[in-house]
Amino acid sequence: MTDSTTDLTVADIEQRVGEFLEAKTRMTWEPEVDLFASGAVSSLFAMELVVFVESTFGVAVEGTDLAMDNFRTVRTMSSLVTRLRTGGDGGA
Amino acid sequence: MVLDALSALVTETVADAASEWDVAGEIPIDVLRGLGAKGVLCAEVNPNFGGLGLSGTENGELTARTGALCSSLRSVMTSQGMAAWTIQRFGDKAQRTEYIGRLTSGELAAVAFSEPGAGSDLAAMATEIRRDGEDIVVDGSKTWITVAAYADWIVVFGRYQGGGAVALVPTSAPGVGVTRVADPLGCRAGGHARVVLDNVRLPAENLLAVAGQPLVMLTTIALTYGRLSVAWGCVGILRACLTAVARHAADREQFGKPLLRHQLVARHLAELYAGERTATFACEQASRSWDEGSPEQVPASVLAKHVAAGNAARGAASAMQVLASAGAAGGHVVERAYRDAKLMEIIEGSNEICQLILAEHAAIAAG
Repeated sequence: MTDSTTDLTVADIEQRVGEFLEAKTRMTWEPEVDLFASGAVSSLFAMELVVFVESTFGVAVEGTDLAMDNFRTVRTMSSLVTRLRTGGDGGA
Repeated sequence: MVLDALSALVTETVADAASEWDVAGEIPIDVLRGLGAKGVLCAEVNPNFGGLGLSGTENGELTARTGALCSSLRSVMTSQGMAAWTIQRFGDKAQRTEYIGRLTSGELAAVAFSEPGAGSDLAAMATEIRRDGEDIVVDGSKTWITVAAYADWIVVFGRYQGGGAVALVPTSAPGVGVTRVADPLGCRAGGHARVVLDNVRLPAENLLAVAGQPLVMLTTIALTYGRLSVAWGCVGILRACLTAVARHAADREQFGKPLLRHQLVARHLAELYAGERTATFACEQASRSWDEGSPEQVPASVLAKHVAAGNAARGAASAMQVLASAGAAGGHVVERAYRDAKLMEIIEGSNEICQLILAEHAAIAAG
């Protein structure tokens, strides 16, 4: 976690997630498009996304938060990050 | 340095017993519990859960040093570490505290993926975990489960409500049957066993919180730890072979000169050295990604496993060729390496499964 992540808006989070997805898949992703339905991601990709979200936003995604639905779209990822950064813990 | 102290502890504990354990097919349970209680078997666990808090890179090096001495003990380490990692990832706070704490207190855990009908194709697993009121019921059959013959706990992956789930099954529970695999090819003292789960009823607290997520996502996450650990274990096999070959080739004379002066033998040593170095580099890179929290850790772990297992199998075969009769007695370090390394090309994703994953990854990366 770095200081630059302390005041992230939803738009900031979605931008970073979008950049990561674009670098990985060479496609741009609208906020509510289902990544997994597209077939453009590999079997390892769900875990890569989990690790990316954790390291980029300084959160731990464990227990019940580790749900595929939380990683399904850019928007669901930003919701997860916002919730975890404000202290919500689905793993409790 | 903690790593050196832990390596020394493992070295003292194994002493000259690795060959005996291999031939007997068993490591004394007190040895395993003793190392487990000191946190050595899952040394990456956070001190909050009684662990030693090693980085992935340090734990990898400890795994390699252990693997150079005894691949059976190393496979126990892989199993225990993967169990702790699985609980860390998939459990809730209470489960992490309770069960990871047990794994650093001397209790032993196996991780059960494969089944009679589901080896490489883990998505085909048939073991069912279902809820029944306040309980869960686990029903199915698992094969070739490393450490199961020693284990207090089996971390069971199965089907659950259209997805997957992970249950923590005590081997003492009614309905659990554990039968050793007779004379396994490699890691002969690794406690490989068949596990039958006959409608095993447990409190719902034994179901890790992540229940219901896609099975392949769950197995991929758990196996990333296992693959990296096996890869480091293969580095250990390569180092043991390299040392044995270098010594033998320097000491033994044939046709009036040391083996090392025979070019065909020298080539074996060179290739073994190259195999050890490239496997080490692949493992170091993957562990660095792991420690940095880089998403690259996922493909890098598959790459490390694939490179290290292949190098270990080829390296152990060439070490056997150089040592010849000097290394062919049952339980000799090179004879063990030859058998253990072959198994490394099969477990935690066979060569072919690793190739399929790497091909898919490479294709996507190329766009």
